[in-house]
Amino acid sequence: MTLLLWVYSFVGFSPISQDTIPLAEVEVYAPALDRFAQGQKVISWSKKDLQDFQGRSLGDILQEQSPVFVRQYGAGMIASPSFRGTSAGHTAVFWNGLPINSPSLGQSDLSILPVSAIDQVSLQFGNAGALFGNEAIGGSVHLGTESEFGKGFHAGISQQIGSFGLFNSSAYAGFSTSNFSSKTKIYREFAKNNFPYKDLGQFGTPEVKEDHAQFEQIGIVQDLAWNLNDNNQLKTAFWWNKTNREVQPVIGSNTEDEQEDQAFRAVIDYFHFEEKSIWNLKTGFVRNEQLFNSSQNNSTQYFLAGDWDQEISTKWTSKLGARYTLTKGDLSTYQAEDNRIELYQSTNFSPSEKLSFALNLRQLVYDGTFAPFTPNLGMDWSFWNRNSQSLQLKTSLGKGFKVPTLNDRFWNPGGNPELLPEESLSGEIALTWNKTGNLNWKQSLTYYKMSVDNWIIWLPKGSFWTPENIKKVSNQGVEYQGNLDGKFGMWNWELTTSYTFSKAITSEAVDENDQSVGKQLPYSPQHQANAKIRVEIQDFSAFASTFYVGERSVTADNPRLIPSYQLYNLGLGYSGLQLGEIRFPLSFQINNILDTDYQVLYLRAMPGRSFQFNLSILL
Amino acid sequence: MNLKQFLWASALISISFACSDSGDEKPLGKYESGILIMNEGNFGTNDGEVYHLNPNTQELLPNIFEAENARPFAGLLEDMVLEADRLYLVANTGKVEIVNPGDFKSSGAVVADLDQPRSLAVNGSKLFISDYGPYDDNYGTPDSYIAVVNGLDGGVVSKKIEVSNKPEDLFAHGNYIIVAGSEENKIEIIDATQEAVVTTLDLEASPRQFYAEDGVLWVYAVAADEVIFYTVNLSSLTLGTSYTVPVANATSRIAFDGDDEMYVLTSSGWPDYNDAVVSIDIEGNAATVTELMTGSGFYGIGFDDERDQIYVSNSNGFQGNGTVTVLSESGSVIKTFEAGRGPSGFLVY
Repeated sequence: MTLLLWVYSFVGFSPISQDTIPLAEVEVYAPALDRFAQGQKVISWSKKDLQDFQGRSLGDILQEQSPVFVRQYGAGMIASPSFRGTSAGHTAVFWNGLPINSPSLGQSDLSILPVSAIDQVSLQFGNAGALFGNEAIGGSVHLGTESEFGKGFHAGISQQIGSFGLFNSSAYAGFSTSNFSSKTKIYREFAKNNFPYKDLGQFGTPEVKEDHAQFEQIGIVQDLAWNLNDNNQLKTAFWWNKTNREVQPVIGSNTEDEQEDQAFRAVIDYFHFEEKSIWNLKTGFVRNEQLFNSSQNNSTQYFLAGDWDQEISTKWTSKLGARYTLTKGDLSTYQAEDNRIELYQSTNFSPSEKLSFALNLRQLVYDGTFAPFTPNLGMDWSFWNRNSQSLQLKTSLGKGFKVPTLNDRFWNPGGNPELLPEESLSGEIALTWNKTGNLNWKQSLTYYKMSVDNWIIWLPKGSFWTPENIKKVSNQGVEYQGNLDGKFGMWNWELTTSYTFSKAITSEAVDENDQSVGKQLPYSPQHQANAKIRVEIQDFSAFASTFYVGERSVTADNPRLIPSYQLYNLGLGYSGLQLGEIRFPLSFQINNILDTDYQVLYLRAMPGRSFQFNLSILL
Repeated sequence: MNLKQFLWASALISISFACSDSGDEKPLGKYESGILIMNEGNFGTNDGEVYHLNPNTQELLPNIFEAENARPFAGLLEDMVLEADRLYLVANTGKVEIVNPGDFKSSGAVVADLDQPRSLAVNGSKLFISDYGPYDDNYGTPDSYIAVVNGLDGGVVSKKIEVSNKPEDLFAHGNYIIVAGSEENKIEIIDATQEAVVTTLDLEASPRQFYAEDGVLWVYAVAADEVIFYTVNLSSLTLGTSYTVPVANATSRIAFDGDDEMYVLTSSGWPDYNDAVVSIDIEGNAATVTELMTGSGFYGIGFDDERDQIYVSNSNGFQGNGTVTVLSESGSVIKTFEAGRGPSGFLVY
């Protein structure tokens, strides 16, 4: 993609000196998310970190392991991210560098982005309109698949069985030489979701079984990569995912809606390496098909992008790029086409090893309309180093924007073509304390402040609803993130913790009757925290995790609050079973150990305690 | 007593009148008298609720269903029907909750076999519930019905009587249930014993509300540029005089003041969204139309006969709680206060 730079894995995030690296040693391309993201908060999970979330969705890992609040409409139902109190449409989501938010809805459903299909996840927090473009207001999510060279043949199958009819199967096979790499994954995830819950809508609140929340998802991911010669590389990825869901009704309703979501995503990257620069030509295709009962909503996006990343000197690097996007929407009530061109430029200046700055700029034009120009300035400064400890200061200031979605502009009736893009401004400052040794830690504290103007709200007008640029919102908060690991005899252990305080308030309201000014935004908890401890001894591993979500209000004027909740999960694993070359890792997991009755969103029943057993066969 | 029953049966969201019968023998409950504010709730959130206003002390009690029953209402509140010592809360999300109007304690419910109930009428020991039926693929409702439940405290649906599309208000008279068939401009009359439609009356406009006064049943019906007040002769079950009044863009929300004067909400819709409160005064064959208030977002209307005050609610775009504005008969604002989510009607008793 345009903005993530693909660098050589063993170079990591340090400034590249491309002239010294022979291409034959290239093994893995990894998106260097933070190469021009100085001053911004980034959290990443590797393939290994994702292991504990196999068979679960991206929404689960974000909710349980990050400061993001996930608005989840039931088990396996629509789940949308809220970064720093912003709305679901304020998060850009990328897969291998392609923006994959639905162009009609302007957001992604995290429940249908299965962890099984992904090899790495990174989250970036705060405005990054300059680096990542449209919708990167609260933050952005970056998903990737990985290609490996020179690994020969490997394969595996995995089966999960669990409570409430959980039955997940997946298989993968990969083959690579030094110049060619192929990896195929297929999966099917199924859950009956017939969990018991208290029916609050009935006299006596009897315990009933959910009978309309079945979830079935199948998909295939194919990655291919070629080293064409010493200077050229081609990489492609394809992902088809299809989900069929019975839409879990809100408590008190007996709706029997059904939804089918199908996504085809394909990307081709061509890299040309020169002595001090890399050319990347990228083309991609994303098609979304959604069938809600009998209402069909489809969209197709075509992407063509190119960028040129060059090392000007040891202190200066720069990237210049452009992207063209053609979107065709074929919705149940309208058809629309949208053309976008965006130009972006990133500059990194590192006067010393300890100090670096990034200046990012972007201008997007959609259908002849200029979106707000978005600059972003960031700095990383390691200002104190002693023995094994260091302190780093990160700070950034930037803008973000969101072009009104196709539905906002064209939905019939009600779409408002006159809508302006939403516009945001944010700044943050973070202090990170690192220590290495027998006991390692990394602790960071971030303060952020942002405002979003021209916030789009759909309002009922007569017999239908129409969107308007009506609200202004200001958010500020503090995020703490701690990682601690060490060794205790034979035991390896790791503790991760995080706490978030988020004050996201309405500063300009809909009209004089609106009582929301000065109050917390709906479904935006002020307090959130999580912790996970993981221990390993030889082939055994275990983890215990917990997460807490504070009180949330249902509406912007806050008359009704939903109680806070805290859930605990536990997992055990054994990877010592082996028969010749074949390994049989086993794991067992209990989610919501205390069988806590909770709601994420008002009157959306959630499952209690559940068990999950995993067996894999790896070749 | 018969007239009182008629009145209660027609005491829909927007109908209000004074209960002159003060010789009640039961002890007074907390909510025995006053004004109930019906808050429909937001689609997908099911946060419909009832507020209680004491117009003498101005004390406003929020969410009284949840307060008295220790569970949320969990539905979209479409209608409230007061019948003797039972208050029926009709949720268009598929249930009817029955509470004691004095203390609001739940006494029963109809929870199964309903789709989108709209209103309710009582005949003898039977409940008749109008229901749009399920949506088809094009959001049409070709299978609308009147559900029959044996038992005043709810229970199971014993029969569904097929009627024209989108039945709204119901009115019980003698052995008959009179149905406002809103989509196909019909009044259908059901024999409560046979549980079948026995007569159909065709109208020129879409019937929305019934109102009985002095032995005459009024039918409020709307068309694009006018409203028509039909009368039904209750002994012959035939149409009597009708009054056509040039009020454009009328909604189904109406309040009757008991003296041949009505208050109607109008909404211009696209593209201006101008809402208004209009009073209609029928004297003989002439109707006077006066615009009392204009604005945007009007969602329900009621009339307090004792104090001659008009209650107009505003949904505030369902973004949060709505507001209620109290007007004098001449349209001057007396006060404004906050109610629940999507306040859509009032029951004054």
